[in-house]
Amino acid sequence: MGIRFQEVSFHYPQNQLTYYQAIANITLDIESKNEFICLVGRTGSGKSTLAQHMNALLLPTSGTLEIFGTKITAKRDKKTNYNSLRKHVGLVFQFPEYQLFEETVEKDIMFGPLNFHTGIDEAKEIARETLKLVGLDESYLNRNPFNLSGGEKKRVAIAGILAFDPDILVLDEPTSGLDPRGKTQMMELFKEIQDKTGKSIIIITHDMDLVYEHASRVVVLYDGELIYDESPKALFKREGLEKYHLQYPSPIRVLKDLKERFDLDLDIYQRNLSDAVTALKRAVK
Amino acid sequence: MSYIEIKDLSFSYTKKRQILKNIGINIEKGEWIAILGHNGSGKSTLAKTIVGLLEPGAGSITVDGIKLDQDTLQSVRRKIGIVFQNPDNQFVGVTVRDDIAFGMENLCVPKAEMLERIEYFATKVGMEKFLDKEPASLSGGQKQRVAIAGILAMQTEIMIFDEATSMLDPYARGDLMEHIKKLHNEGLTIIMITHEIEEALLADRLVIMKDGAIFADGPKEELLKKPDLFQGSALELPFSLRLANQLTGAGFEEVRGYLWESAFRK
Ligand SMILES: Nc1ncnc2c1ncn2[C@@H]1O[C@H](COP(=O)(O)OP(=O)(O)OP(=O)(O)O)[C@@H](O)[C@H]1O
Ligand SMILES: Nc1ncnc2c1ncn2[C@@H]1O[C@H](COP(=O)(O)OP(=O)(O)OP(=O)(O)O)[C@@H](O)[C@H]1O
Ligand SMILES: [Mg+2]
Ligand SMILES: [Mg+2]
Repeated sequence: MGIRFQEVSFHYPQNQLTYYQAIANITLDIESKNEFICLVGRTGSGKSTLAQHMNALLLPTSGTLEIFGTKITAKRDKKTNYNSLRKHVGLVFQFPEYQLFEETVEKDIMFGPLNFHTGIDEAKEIARETLKLVGLDESYLNRNPFNLSGGEKKRVAIAGILAFDPDILVLDEPTSGLDPRGKTQMMELFKEIQDKTGKSIIIITHDMDLVYEHASRVVVLYDGELIYDESPKALFKREGLEKYHLQYPSPIRVLKDLKERFDLDLDIYQRNLSDAVTALKRAVK
Repeated sequence: MSYIEIKDLSFSYTKKRQILKNIGINIEKGEWIAILGHNGSGKSTLAKTIVGLLEPGAGSITVDGIKLDQDTLQSVRRKIGIVFQNPDNQFVGVTVRDDIAFGMENLCVPKAEMLERIEYFATKVGMEKFLDKEPASLSGGQKQRVAIAGILAMQTEIMIFDEATSMLDPYARGDLMEHIKKLHNEGLTIIMITHEIEEALLADRLVIMKDGAIFADGPKEELLKKPDLFQGSALELPFSLRLANQLTGAGFEEVRGYLWESAFRK
């Protein structure tokens, strides 16, 4: 078992008297291998809060959380090695600025490996390699991470987590701010990592095309509660997702429009462009 | 003379590397343009030079007949509101209310009017319940909404949005775009930097940047018909047009035509 939430709730303190409940009664099991989960829900629904529980950055206000066999509860436990949990679960923040802090990109990416006792030469080598994986060349190694463009920062932040090779990757909006080609390449990279290593991958996103094409499981939050946990196929066959401020993926929307406009005998549930093309060709002929 | 004229503009952060290379763009009053381009192509840098936050190494920027320099900086700034790529860079106040007020304070909007606008624009972006919260305690999308409300409330003649909606859910984005369309119809000049092609297509004209230079600039209907142009600059056509482009051959004319037509339907 990778990560297990049992009736987890979390309150952000507001002031002495009030608090804000960001997630409520979440029960969720995430396997340590081969999961490709997308976590979706409208702005403020609790996605980032839930993600920060996955490596114990936030501790549940109530309920229990288990991360690779270690029980995590409301009280910080002196016997628990939180640092070692982070070796299991790597989290990329929604805003890369929260994660970058060293004076060079190289040092930033090396931080994780060094923290988990990799030798300095090897860490340097890792920094070089992971930077290439996220689409930046070696000239970036000596750059100050704060003087990068938005998308470049995002790439460095992702590299920083890939560098220490956690068992589970949790990525909070990893493609927002990337250019379209970068987005495609980043998704291919995550897929390739999973194919090679079987790591579980959890991605928070508003991009339903990405969910439909890549996820094997989708978890939907609404006002802090988990409302669906199923395959994207099952989710997007549901009517009325608008209620939860969820959009249907482009293939479904576009094919639905064509089906109605041209009165076609067409299966609109196609997960990507090439499947949509095939289905449409068959229907029009 | 155009409303905004950018001429032979160059900029470097350090001596080693030139970032903006001879940029020339003319924008008419009431135009809506979208700026697209790969990560690091210079979009945010360009936006910062237009509002006078960065001083160009060469070239000039003229806004409404006023040439931007140290002496005119303040008067040009009053005309342009900019939502930064990272909303945190925009927050200075203790509460959301303070942050929405900040831009208006610089424009010396009278107090009573300011309070009214805070309520109105906070509601417009769906953040009216959060006015007394600290900006730091908001979710990503909530921060972006507050940053946008602050600029809308300034009611400047020109607004620049630098990936301002990248973390909004599609519904929040849709609501906001409806409002921006309305402002545009009333004469607002809009520069929208974005990686979202659907969002870019709300504009009339696309400017594509590549390696610090203007790679293409023209009406969207024209640029979208040149797929090489898109591939050459890390961009992607919207799904409906990618689909249309795959439907080659006879028998698909009608479907293809319909897909193209609907891509431009606002
Ligand atoms: N540090 C904090 N203090 C108080 N409230 C907070 C804090 N962080 C988040 N919240 C509140 O908790 C709720 C959930 O926030 P969270 O960041 O988990 O949302 P999200 O689903 O990630 O949203 P988004 O898509 O906008 O990033 C929001 O209403 C937010 O205002
Ligand atoms: N403060 C800075 N100092 C030095 N170089 C910088 C600084 N800010 C940006 N750059 C560099 O200038 C180039 C252009 O950056 P800019 O932020 O304008 O790109 P962008 O087109 O907005 O990219 P993105 O889509 O990633 O936001 C990038 O290569 C970046 O590394
Ligand atoms: Mg979030
Ligand atoms: Mg930028």
